Formats: sequence, C-alpha cells, structure tokens
Amino acid sequence: MGMLKIDQVSVTHNKRRAIKDASFSANEGEIIGFIGADGAGKSSLMHAIAGVIRFEGKISFQNTIYHSPSEAQILKSKIGLMPQGIGLVLYDLLTVGEHLDFFANIRDIRQDDRFNEYKNRLLRMAGLDKFIDRRAGNLSGGMMQKLSLICTLLHRPKLLILDEPTTGVDPLSRIELWKILDQIRCEEGTIALVSTAYMQEAAQMDRVLLFDEGEIIAQGCAKELIKSVQDMTYVRKPFTTPHSMSTLDTTYSLEPLEAEHAEPTLEALFFVNALQKNRILPSVEITPRDGDTSFSSVVMEAQGLTKTFGDFVANDRVDIRLCRGEILGLLGSNGAGKTTFIKMLLGLLPIDDGELNLLGKRIETAKDRQELKSSIGYVSQHFALYNDMTVRENLHYFASMHQIPMDIAIKRIARYSEELGFDGYMDAIPTELPLGINQRFSLAAALLHEPVILFLDEPTSGVDAIARAQFWQLLVALKEKWKIAILITTHYMSEAEFCDRIVLMRDGCKVADDTIPNLYTAHPNAKTFEEIFLEYYR
Amino acid sequence: MRIGILKAYIRKELSELLRSRLIIMVYLLPTMLMLLFGYGIRMEVTHARIAIIDNDQSRLSNLLVGKFEHSKYFDVTTTVMDEDEALRKIKQAQSDAIIIIPASFEKRLLKGQTTQIGVYVDAAFPSRGSTMESYVQGVILNAASALIPSAPKGSIVINQRTLFNQAMRDEDAIVPGLIGLVLLVAPAIIAALLIVKEKERGTIFNFYASPLSKAEFIAAKLIPVFLLHSINIFILLLWALYLFEVPFRGSFWIYWLASELYILVSISIGILISVITRTQIVAVVLTVMVTIIPGFMYSGIIMPISSMVGMSRYEAHVFPVMYYNHILYDVFLVGEGLTSQKTQLYLVILAVYVVILLSLGTLWLRKEIR
Repeated sequence: MGMLKIDQVSVTHNKRRAIKDASFSANEGEIIGFIGADGAGKSSLMHAIAGVIRFEGKISFQNTIYHSPSEAQILKSKIGLMPQGIGLVLYDLLTVGEHLDFFANIRDIRQDDRFNEYKNRLLRMAGLDKFIDRRAGNLSGGMMQKLSLICTLLHRPKLLILDEPTTGVDPLSRIELWKILDQIRCEEGTIALVSTAYMQEAAQMDRVLLFDEGEIIAQGCAKELIKSVQDMTYVRKPFTTPHSMSTLDTTYSLEPLEAEHAEPTLEALFFVNALQKNRILPSVEITPRDGDTSFSSVVMEAQGLTKTFGDFVANDRVDIRLCRGEILGLLGSNGAGKTTFIKMLLGLLPIDDGELNLLGKRIETAKDRQELKSSIGYVSQHFALYNDMTVRENLHYFASMHQIPMDIAIKRIARYSEELGFDGYMDAIPTELPLGINQRFSLAAALLHEPVILFLDEPTSGVDAIARAQFWQLLVALKEKWKIAILITTHYMSEAEFCDRIVLMRDGCKVADDTIPNLYTAHPNAKTFEEIFLEYYR
Repeated sequence: MRIGILKAYIRKELSELLRSRLIIMVYLLPTMLMLLFGYGIRMEVTHARIAIIDNDQSRLSNLLVGKFEHSKYFDVTTTVMDEDEALRKIKQAQSDAIIIIPASFEKRLLKGQTTQIGVYVDAAFPSRGSTMESYVQGVILNAASALIPSAPKGSIVINQRTLFNQAMRDEDAIVPGLIGLVLLVAPAIIAALLIVKEKERGTIFNFYASPLSKAEFIAAKLIPVFLLHSINIFILLLWALYLFEVPFRGSFWIYWLASELYILVSISIGILISVITRTQIVAVVLTVMVTIIPGFMYSGIIMPISSMVGMSRYEAHVFPVMYYNHILYDVFLVGEGLTSQKTQLYLVILAVYVVILLSLGTLWLRKEIR
C-alpha cells in the first residue's frame, strides 16, 4: 500500500486536456522523476497532486483522499510545491532572511530553537548564509532556485513536488540543489516528485515516469527503461531510412540497422516513442544563402573587453575570437558575466574598455554599432516574439525592420519555414505553439537579414530532447552551408560537446578557451564534459 | 484567522509597498487629485477683465463705473476707444466683457428717459459667459436703484439668500465632494494591484500551496491598504480645512467613522477587481473606470443627485459615493449629524456595501489555477 496514490487523474486546463487518466503510486522516501516534452502534462499532474488545480479522479495521501483543491486544503501543511520558473515564488524586493521568515510564518511554524537550527542548516547548505540581507531580485538564477527550494523545505513537507527546479540553472548550482534535496528528503522520509529536463538527473532517481501528449507512456527505474530501447539505438549513420531518426551522434531506428549499437540514455526513450507513434521529423536540409559567404575568416574579434557596474566588474578584460564556420560555446555559471558580454558584442551595452572588431573593422562610433547590429542575428533567452501576431506576421515585421524588400522577404520566409520545419504553423499565434517550434521560428527571424554572426542565448532551455537534437542539426547545417559564426550559451553540458570551441567564464573572467578534444586532453580524469566544467569551478 | 500569519503577510506587503516606492503613490495621489480638482474646478467668476468705455464722463456714469470697480468680480479698465477696437480686444482674449456707456447717459436718465448700456460678454465658455452676464446685470440694477431714488420702489427687487454656503464659495461646494471622489479612487487602485501583482508574478502559488485560507488572504491584502489610507482621511481633512478653508459644522467622529467605512468599500472594490482580472494593467484601467467616472458624476460636484431624473437617479443610488457624500456635506456644511435619520441610514448602507463586496471577493477568489 503506497503512501501516495494517484488514481485515474485527468486535468483539463483552458479547454485543453492536459493530462489524461494518470495513475501511479509512491512510497515513503521515494523520489520519482517526471520527464517528457514541454506541454506533455507534467506540470498539470504536479499541480493536481499539490491541490492547486481542479482535476477528475482520485488522489490519496497518508490515507486522506481528495478529489478537488478544496478537499486537499487540510493536507497543504504537509505538501511543498515549487512551481516552474526561476525565482517564481520569490518576492524581488524582500531579502533572503525575510523570505525565510515569511514562509515560516504563513505556514504558522513555531520558531523555536529546533526550527532555527534547521533553518540555519538549510541556509548553510544553500550557501546563502552570507547573503541573508540581499534582496531576492539581486540573486543569480542558481541562488534564486536554491532559496526557493529551502523555502519550500522549511515546513518539513512529507510530499515534495518540484517542477523543473534545475532548468536554466548552471551545473554547479544544480549539484548543490540536489545535495540539499537528497539530504533533507532522506532525513525526513519525504516523497519527492521532481520533473527535469536533464536526463542524467532523471537517471539518478528511484523511478521515472515518461510523459507524452498528456499520458504517462512508461514508468519504471531508469535502468529498465534504458534497457528497453537498447536494441534500437545505434551509432550515428549518415543516411536515414523512413523509420529512423538521428541526432548529431546517435541514430534511432525501429528496424534493425547495419550498424554498431550505442549506449542509450533516457533521451532515447523520446526518440523511440516518436518513431513508434510515427512522428518522424523531416531531415534537415539547408540551401545556400542568397548573399555571398566569402567573408574573412575572423568574423569578430574582441580584445580586453571590460564592463563595470559601479564597483562591480561584470567583465574583466575578456578576449574572444569568432571564426567563419565555427560554433563557439560560451559557458559559465549563472552570474559569470555571459549575458553582459553578449550584450557588449551586440552593441546593446557601451564598452568600458577594450576594442571590438567586426570583419577587420574597429567598432567605434554609433554608426559602426548600427552596422554591427545589422550583421548579427540574435535569439534571446525569451524569444522576443510578438504574441499578438501570427508567425507569418511576426516574420514580415522582422523583415521590414531589417528593410528587406518585400518580394525577397516573402521568398525567404517561405524557404526558411520549410527548411526549419515550421511551415505548418505559419498562421498560428506564438503562444499556442510548443517551445520547440517557437525556437525554430525565432531562429528564422534572426536569420532573415542573412547575418554573418548568430548569437543564441540559451536557446534550448526548456525545449524537449527531440526538438533540441533537431535544433543542433540545424546549427551544424547552417555553419557548414552558410559559413556563419555561431556563438551559443547553454546549461546543457552534453550540448557543449557539439561545439567546435568552448569559452568558459567565471566571475567575469575567461578561464578557458579551447577545442573539446584539447580540453579532454588537459583534464585526463574527466569522463564527461560536465566534470571538466566543474574542475574549473573547484 | 491566525494573527501570526496575518502579521507576516502585512509586514511583507508593507515592506514591498515601501521598497517599490508605491507608498509615494498612496500619499501623493489623493493630495494631487485634491489640489488639481480643488483649484481646477471653478463655477464662479472672479476678476473678470472688463473694459468700460465711458462716453459720457458724467457724475452718474462715474458712479456706475465705481460700482464695477468696487466689485471683487471685476478688474476694470476705463478707456475711451471706439467699439471696434474694444471688440477686437475680446477677440484677442485681452478682455472678458465690454460695457459701453452712451454719451447721453446722465442726461437721459435725469429726464426719465430710457437709456441703453451696451454690454458685450465673451461667451466662448457658455457657463462662464452667462455667469458674467448676470453679474453685470446685477451690478447695473444695483447701481440704478442707488442712482435714481425717485424710481418707483419695488419695481426692482432682488432678494437673494443662499443657504449652507452663504459665502457662495466654490471651495465649500466642491472640496467635500472631492474627498468622496479621492477616497473612492486611490485606495481601490492600490488594492486592485495587490492580488493581481502576485498572479502576474507567479508568487500567488505561495497562497495556492499553503494552508492559508481565502479569508486570511483577503484580510492580509486589505489591512495594509486600510491602515495606510486611514491616514489620508486626516490629510484630506487638513487640506479641506486649512488650504481651502471649508467650514466644518458637524461631528469629527461621524466624519472619521464614515470615512473608514468608505475606504473599506473602496478597497473591497479594488480587491474584487483584483480577483477577477489577470494583469495589473487591466486591473488599473478597470478600477479607474468603475471609480472615477461614477465618483465624479454622482459626487454632487457637477450636479446634485436630487436634480437627476430617470436612469441616472437609479445609477446614483447604486454607487456608494452618493451615500458618503451626503454625510460629507452634512459634516462640513450642515452639521445635523446623527439626528438626521438619513445619515444613520447611509452609514448602515455603507457597512452593507463592505459586507457584500468582501463576501463576493472571498467567494470569487479561487485557491487554484484557472
């Protein structure tokens, strides 16, 4: 008899069936991972269990049965929910210490010595004990998530529901988050439900539920699940058959292939499931661009770029070189100065010191900067799309902003929509579309004026595995066919391996700048790129 | 209601209001509205620029000019110029009215013949124009009766008496109504922001996921605004008494009680709007629409409720501003206080408003994602 039992739970939100007939149970101390694409129903099920959304079906926890949020009310003192979104539940203007007091008070916790000891321990584990008086709005993303977690843990919940706590968080903070979570839940015997976009994290959990289109399509421990798809995973084959899909290093096929088997990860589940449901994405084909591709080999070069905000040095003498036909990965923890750096390269922030050259020409005047902007395509973290216009209208708008003649623009938009695979969504509003489609259409918007440099600021954050794999294939194709320089930031260390070169930043300084193989040679003990990353932070 | 929880929420709201500088709006907005409208709305006309062309230059005409010169309503310039030139002055907005005394003014009057005085009034603003016109007439009639005692007595009798606002001061008529408008608009806007802000930001999850009850949440949002705006009751009273010099004839306690009740009504409207909207901008626009327009229409500033007919009369009774303003005009200008049954009834009606609006707010507030 499980402590938590979910029985045939369905959630309908905004007239859309978000999750249908989900059932599972969990015992004391168990940790269960929710994985699945964006919009697969993970959050809705979590909200139902936390009693914050109306649902059909039955949930029982500690022998209390509830069918609606109002029936769940009596259990709320035992449940902790951390909804999706960095720092979502925090008040920007309150300090760290005030947050802890507030969360303790609204849950009516008696603030005795035992509580204070527990609170201080949580603060120490989160590394926030030195920042008690800092306002939440001034914390980095990683710190915000740690603060949210300890605020959720303050009342020692017996059921902990965490919705993508680590998305958009750097590897270092992620490890700290997991340390806090594991320690506390083991001590308290908490049931933890955690959704995550990182398959390595899911693999560590007791059990994994795989969500797809509003249904739980598989559950079990990670090893079993991985084993079930081992036969369909191969080392990448350059050609494709109708029943196969490829990423940059792996090919998945339902039919046996004449190829060596590869070691699958949980990600393989998504591909095999898509194949089984015959949701095969068209392979990526990029045609050469209209403009010429014979620009100089060093596209952009920055030397000693420095930016200070008051006493705080955000970027300290950073050098960077972007070459023709190269993907450069810019990595670093939250608050290491990546965004500031990109903003300077974009001409959005004035440069305090150092120089910036574009195609061999130094950027000095405002006119230069205008030219700089017209040679760069930029996809921001929160795709800057207009949500009141359709995809087509958005693209037309961006085209006229870049003063592209209408006839050329229409042709280009038609071509990109086909090649980037969103031509079926041209008349939809961005908010109705999955993140993966929005991501590709933002990319198209950034490429309309045929830039020589493409900046991508965490474009894959929150996007599901298949869409991510496709996106990377697109980037590689763009690099090869268009010879443009691509600068990308990401928190997925597995993606870093697809970059040609990596620049690692820490506290506003550049600490590494090398190719992937060279980095592996320099760190012989590291098995994955994540370990290399962490070595720079120890 | 658990006091500890409420205290935590109230402390949080207050420090947020303080740190986000929204507190400035809490105290600036009411005073600003009061000063803008208090000085801005003028029904009476003073210091109208009037040019008198005295073609007679006689004793009687001088007396008439003197009457105008001694009136606080007119700033007089006496000139000799021709009519066209004078009219041009009105066109150029250098003069508000022209009075032309004909050359034979004294002679004809003494002979008992009718004489005509030319009066030109700039009526670009009709109400101002007609006000000036009646002032001019008043002064001339008054002068006429003084000048010609031989005129049959009783032929001109003007017996004016104004009640409650004996001085006929605009401030006395407008400022109490303004308090009713300001205390309806300002607390409602702040209250409307409080819940919807959490919805927009995502922090509303803290309420959804915690054992906090709906009533506790509403109370936690209501109390900080109530406390902050209670101070405005006194600030506005001070402006009324010392800046606009409005008399205060009633009981301070009735003013205080009615005002606190009225703030609660206003906050409840804000909370209700906050509950049904999703974004701050919609909440603010909606609040402004449902408070400022009726607050202005039915405050008695523009027209008294008793002179309204048909729909507008019913509408006036639906909005709480009418009841509060009745009490306000009573405490400022009349002073009957609780001996008036109407005042008693209206206090009860305000309390009923609070109960109904807050119950609706609590009923409609959802402790779940919609």
